[in-house]
Amino acid sequence: MTAPRNLETVELTKRFGGVTALDGASIAFHDGKINAIIGPNGSGKTTYFNCVTGMIRADSGQTTYRGHDITRRPPHAIAAAGIGRTFQLCRVFPRMSALDNVLVAARPGGVATRLRGARGRAEVARAREWLAHMGMDHLEGVEAGNLSWGQQKLLELAGVLMSEPETILLDEPAGGVNPALIDRIAALVRELNAAGKTFIIVEHNMDLVMNLCEHIVVLDRGRPIAAGPPSVIRSDERVLGAYLG
Amino acid sequence: MRSVSKARVWLGLPVLLAGVGLVLSFPSLAPNPYLLSVGIVVLNYAVLSTAWNFMGGFTGYISLGHGALAGLGAYGTALLITKAGMPSFAALFAATAIVALLAIPLGFAALRVRGASFVIVSIALVLILLLVFQSWASLTGGSSGLVVPRPFPQLLRPEHHRVFYYLFAGLLALALLCWWLIDRSRFGLGLKAVREDEDKAESLGTPTFAYKLVIFTVSAAFTALGGGLYALWFGDLDPVFQFSILSGAYMVLMALLGGVRNLFGPVLGALIVGIGLEYFKVEYGNTPLHLVASGLLLAVVVMFMPDGVIPSVSNVFGRFFQPTRASIREVSAEQLREEARR
Amino acid sequence: MPSGGLLLQSVVLGLLLGGLYALLAAGLTLYFGIMRVVMIAHSAFLILAAYVAWWFNVRTGLDPLLSLAGTVPLFFVTGVAMQRLLLARLRPATLTMMSVLLTFAIALFIEGMLGYLFTGTQRRIQLAYSASSLDLFGARIAVVKLIAFGLAGAALLGLYLLLKHSRFGWALRATIQHRDAARLAGIDTDRVAGYGFGLGLATAAIGGTALALDATVYPSLHWHWIGPLMAIIVVGGLGSIPGAAIAAMVLGMAQSLLQIPLGTTWAQTVFYLALFATLALRPQGFFGGRLAQRF
Repeated sequence: MTAPRNLETVELTKRFGGVTALDGASIAFHDGKINAIIGPNGSGKTTYFNCVTGMIRADSGQTTYRGHDITRRPPHAIAAAGIGRTFQLCRVFPRMSALDNVLVAARPGGVATRLRGARGRAEVARAREWLAHMGMDHLEGVEAGNLSWGQQKLLELAGVLMSEPETILLDEPAGGVNPALIDRIAALVRELNAAGKTFIIVEHNMDLVMNLCEHIVVLDRGRPIAAGPPSVIRSDERVLGAYLG
Repeated sequence: MRSVSKARVWLGLPVLLAGVGLVLSFPSLAPNPYLLSVGIVVLNYAVLSTAWNFMGGFTGYISLGHGALAGLGAYGTALLITKAGMPSFAALFAATAIVALLAIPLGFAALRVRGASFVIVSIALVLILLLVFQSWASLTGGSSGLVVPRPFPQLLRPEHHRVFYYLFAGLLALALLCWWLIDRSRFGLGLKAVREDEDKAESLGTPTFAYKLVIFTVSAAFTALGGGLYALWFGDLDPVFQFSILSGAYMVLMALLGGVRNLFGPVLGALIVGIGLEYFKVEYGNTPLHLVASGLLLAVVVMFMPDGVIPSVSNVFGRFFQPTRASIREVSAEQLREEARR
Repeated sequence: MPSGGLLLQSVVLGLLLGGLYALLAAGLTLYFGIMRVVMIAHSAFLILAAYVAWWFNVRTGLDPLLSLAGTVPLFFVTGVAMQRLLLARLRPATLTMMSVLLTFAIALFIEGMLGYLFTGTQRRIQLAYSASSLDLFGARIAVVKLIAFGLAGAALLGLYLLLKHSRFGWALRATIQHRDAARLAGIDTDRVAGYGFGLGLATAAIGGTALALDATVYPSLHWHWIGPLMAIIVVGGLGSIPGAAIAAMVLGMAQSLLQIPLGTTWAQTVFYLALFATLALRPQGFFGGRLAQRF
């Protein structure tokens, strides 16, 4: 059984000086599923995200998204192709209001739309909806830098969702977040997945990964060493070996 | 929050009207042509620092080279009049168009990589243009300067000042209007996102490079207009003053002092610094002490109020209107990150 | 066609000039590596050191080289203080831009104070050996230029040895490459960063003294230095000291050779052309320097 391909990389390689962060990583993710990338610290997970989203340029290798080559495209074009992402240490625009943080991600359209007022009624309504979805509608006027850590995480997610991605890359969604919020984020991922969004999640919280994800890729020293559903990964000796070193 | 912005409007409108009234009536109030000319100089500073603020305020990219763009506007206007025989104001607009076109390759070199290289290019621009305009004497008159024919030869000096005062005021109004329109547009929102976190903005689909290039071109065009109008008014250009790194630094200082995130920040800064500079000239003549004073003021602004005077003042008002604002604050992520860095 | 002697002389002069550029660019590269700071005031401190050397010579009649005993430690302490008291206090998010403005402000302050204390008059040191020169296959090389080059070369070598072979150099390189990892390895990165700044400013002290030996100085001279120096560090690939040194030698040589057909003023434009070409074609620089990627 092969699920339709979503994001796929062939022989992706990235070196930083003498360190090889990605070493010919060939990985395929399943469309419409909740995928995960796990692996020990420094195994290249975040570098992988940065390469496929165009934030850093891979030295060699190819990235395709649903059959289209996106290897050397700039990040904004990759975003426009339907891939949204969050960042490892959650990143918001600190001196912009929560509402503006979400509005920024609205799909821009042509030149005329860009020059018109940012607060078009339809967009504002949609942005408020996402904020309300996160339980933050009462905070829309607050500068994002003044929000708590957990609120910023939710705000970042609301912004990504505003850009209407088909595929969402989450970099450690549970990092530094209290258990109640982890449950909420997991529920949100499930709900969005049911609505058709594909997820690719980098995460250290094994309970979350094993419960939430359907397809797991294990990275070690910049290359995949195992891939499969949680039941297979859990019993794979190579995975255990990689984590124990 | 809503109520605060409404309160701001109700407070702001009378202040704005009073300001406009004061600006418009100043020529009638000014007791002598000298004061009127000071008014023109301050307005020119306000135009230039507002023009600078298209780049600096929206994107956070600080240019120390806008003085050179103003100089190019001035020399372009002058040369198109004297060498190409164009009418004064046609020359002004043509020179502006040329500078805007020139800003595209400049921006291409300066904006593709982030941060530091933009500043380096902006400073290099001033230095190379000073070199060229001083050395290419056959075209530019070299160090001895260039005389610009007056656009209204029949006017007497006070009348001439009065006309140019209103021209500068009109240009300032146009620049402010454009800044305000961009500020509330989706384009402006994208630019502000670049200022806050460029990677993040790009990951959300903002074409950051194109945005930066467009706003740099707009900024260059307004700067060139300001410089060209100055050339028509003042009538005499010297490369040492037109392409001085100091004039670019004044634009930065004014915008930063007033507050780069505010529409009227640069205008307020121009008022303070412009009057201060004139006072210095009268009081101390041409000593190098104005360098010391500018340096100290710039350092103080950068160290202690990087957001400028307006936010500091309106913060006080903000607290007055919304005392509960502090209560939603837990530990902010920025603080966490800064703590992590320590 | 210029004569062989003139050509040789230009090559040698280019080499000598390149040596001084290399030393000063090394200082600028250090600041950038440590904190991503473009230190505009570097050349203002250079001129300040040159003025101190001149003033020392006028006052005491002693050799200006002796002023190094005072300026080097003084500049080192100033550099440490500047990093710890001023630059380290700026907000990290806007550090690159704000630090440019802050160091620019310091440059204005120094220029203004020099102008106030010593007036704008051009100053030059007169030494017993000022006029003597060596004849080298038809090229005349002033002795003071050789001394200046020797000074710059020795300082650069010292800096290299310090960075490569001392414990402090190891800590400094670690801090530059990966600050968090360095901290985990038990390095007090704040202190190291401060000392690194002191070291950078000390190169300005040495460079300034070398400059004072055979150049005329005036307060606004630093603008003629900061442009070429910034071009050099960009061409060398921001953050790479060997890259900066190679770029300094190449561009110094190019400037010196271009002076023959173009004259001194136009020859200077080579730096700016190299700067624009580098940024347009190869923003990461031509000689290593991977730090530049996102900056």
